[in-house]
Amino acid sequence: MSGGITRGRLTEERKAWRKNHPHGFVARPETSSDGTVNLMVWHCLIPGKSNTDWEGGYYPLTMHFSEDYPSKPPKCKFPPNFFHPNIYPSGTVCLSILSEDSGWRPAITVKQVLVGIQDLLDQPNPSDPAQTDGYQLFMQQPEEYKRRVRQQAKQYPSPV
Amino acid sequence: MVSEQQPSAIEGAKVLMVGAGGIGCELLKTLALSGFRDIHIIDMDTIEVSNLNRQFLFRQSHVGQSKAKVARDAVLKFRPDISITSYHANVKDPDFNVDFFKQFNVVMNGLDNLDARRHVNRLCLAAVVPLIESGTTGFLGQVTVHIKGKTECYECQNKPAPKTYPVCTITSTPSKFVHCVVWAKDLLFAKLFGPKNQENDLNVRSSDSSSSSEQVEDVFEHKNGEEIEQYARKIFDHVFGYNIELALSNEDTWKSRGRPRPIYCKDVMPTEHVHQNGNQGRGSAAGDMASVSAMTTLGLKNPQDLWSLKENAAVFLEALKLFLSKREKEIGNLSFDKDDQLAVELVTAAANIRATSFGIPLHSLFETKGIAGNIVHAVATTNAVIAGLIVIEAIKVLENDVKNYRMTFCLEHSSNKMLLMPVEPFEANKSCYVCSETPLTLEINTHRSKLRDLVDKIVKAKLGMSSPLIMQESTLLYEVGDDLDEGEVANYAANLEKVLSELPSPVRGGTILTVEDLQQELKCSINIKHREEFDEEKEPDGMVLSGWTQAQAAEKNSKVSADNGASTSGASQAASTVPEDEDDDDDLQIILPPVPGKKRKLSDVTATSGVPSAAKEPKIKRKAEEINGDKDIVMLDDGNIVKKGEA
Repeated sequence: MSGGITRGRLTEERKAWRKNHPHGFVARPETSSDGTVNLMVWHCLIPGKSNTDWEGGYYPLTMHFSEDYPSKPPKCKFPPNFFHPNIYPSGTVCLSILSEDSGWRPAITVKQVLVGIQDLLDQPNPSDPAQTDGYQLFMQQPEEYKRRVRQQAKQYPSPV
Repeated sequence: MVSEQQPSAIEGAKVLMVGAGGIGCELLKTLALSGFRDIHIIDMDTIEVSNLNRQFLFRQSHVGQSKAKVARDAVLKFRPDISITSYHANVKDPDFNVDFFKQFNVVMNGLDNLDARRHVNRLCLAAVVPLIESGTTGFLGQVTVHIKGKTECYECQNKPAPKTYPVCTITSTPSKFVHCVVWAKDLLFAKLFGPKNQENDLNVRSSDSSSSSEQVEDVFEHKNGEEIEQYARKIFDHVFGYNIELALSNEDTWKSRGRPRPIYCKDVMPTEHVHQNGNQGRGSAAGDMASVSAMTTLGLKNPQDLWSLKENAAVFLEALKLFLSKREKEIGNLSFDKDDQLAVELVTAAANIRATSFGIPLHSLFETKGIAGNIVHAVATTNAVIAGLIVIEAIKVLENDVKNYRMTFCLEHSSNKMLLMPVEPFEANKSCYVCSETPLTLEINTHRSKLRDLVDKIVKAKLGMSSPLIMQESTLLYEVGDDLDEGEVANYAANLEKVLSELPSPVRGGTILTVEDLQQELKCSINIKHREEFDEEKEPDGMVLSGWTQAQAAEKNSKVSADNGASTSGASQAASTVPEDEDDDDDLQIILPPVPGKKRKLSDVTATSGVPSAAKEPKIKRKAEEINGDKDIVMLDDGNIVKKGEA
């Protein structure tokens, strides 16, 4: 049983998103094979910013909301082994605003989270590495890093 | 009154007017002349010729232009120093959201339909902005003040359902002309030209007719090769002759009533006279649908004339033949439209022939059109009075003069020599589903009813939501909107057809559904209670919603709905939802028969709602009785035919 506050907030988020959301982004509650639409899990797509190496990619992200949302932040995950210095091998995003102990505030909206992650893609935070592969290439072989990023962008083409 | 005000509260106020029609024109002028300096005005309509007699800010040259904009320009001519912002848009557009409403000190409605009124009420509640609501119907009118936490909201009180007529009155025992009109329009016309497969009581044989030779064939079917003339006469004899004979055979019905007289074509029009005028030479230019008219072909000119039985019969036959010959393509898709000349002619003639059978006085085409189209003629003076009262209340609201807030009713007949009746505002209804948070209870058969039934009959028709989201716990069962993608649309479409207990997250007794609206900022909870059986007569929806203020609206009779004669649950339930409220004009205050999605301008669809004219706030009546026992205030009984609202 999810609490009324959680549900109420998620409904508001859903409504707000449906009324207005940034171009190219997708965020919607998960629909399982039996047709259940679950507000606690959202499937999202984050477009890579134009004029960056991430451009052209639409990166799938899943947001898991807990019963304690919005007191606690949603857990945001890319596919496993997503290439980025601040993404754990499991795909979990490491970002200050998604951390209960540092930047998360209940007022942060789904839209702000997704835009924040979009920013993070092209502006990794080297002081907080989450995977070795991405981190080392970013620090030591910028050319190879860029190549991997562009390669990954092709892996996630536009959904339409 | 106005001169006593300190100008500051008015001058500094930013106000929103919704509607620039009959009340709106008066209101904008009065606001401007009362010292208001920042006025915003929304209206989605454009000016029509029929507005010009009372919407005095408009001239003939403005026809076709935005009401809001022309009204603004007209007022700026004599008050060039103030700010008026016009929006040619539907107040239901998402742009006019809670934040938009929050910028105003007061909102004033001059609307013509219930749907938009409810919408504005909900937004004002959400934005906590005072709302002054108004409406007029002919000589009647009212202004009410709605302030969250202080007075009732617009939806705290029942809006009386439109008048409905028991099916049997319409089909067998009419006693007033309006019954004949409803019969002609909703049963006969619908049967002849509406969708083929609809249920219709017109064909029903009387109970003891089984002895006579059973006809299985459909009399209304126009067979290939059948002469139009012959077909028309067959229909005539069937509905005015045979059906009456059948009804007569049921003796019990007529013990305490006058017996109707069957009328056959040959008795009224012995030979095929009708041909004598022919419809070749004169009359309609081919291809011009609008000009096809039986009156023209028959040389009848004045719509205010009473026709003899023979003339009515001639019009009936001629109109029927014209439909079949000139408008064949529309047959099967037509619904009655008061602006369709030929349809009005046919309905007038049919209603009059039937009235003759039953000894009911006949009416002219002009009168019949008014009855059939639910037209109440707008009175400019009433609009002006109401607009003045709105401004008076608005000033009190701006000065926070809470003690002196009044609802004011404008009466047709004086009460204690007064035409205006002020009443102190009522407190909010604690069980109002809009401004309180009391959960609703819905008794429903969860094994039989589909999600679609719940959406149509409850969420849309009763709760008046237009873009609902339905949730159970954290599961979304239904959403609607252009923004959804194909997968979502398909998934929700599939859910609609599922029985409640078989939804992906089953809805059973004890389930609590949360229903919200994407645009309206309205939210409510519905406790589901499973119930196996429902009384088909008393509970035609197959579900009962309680804790909702509009309860027992028009539950009295099984009713015929004016909608299209399908006296089946779909139509009658919808009919039961629509409420009163006087409305401000538009053309003649027409209560549109809202055929969902059909015919009207697309942009209109959301805003038009069947707003029946007659029913009056019950409290007025109560109050008037307290004063001097005068019951004259009960309104127009007749013209008020059931309407289907698209609430």
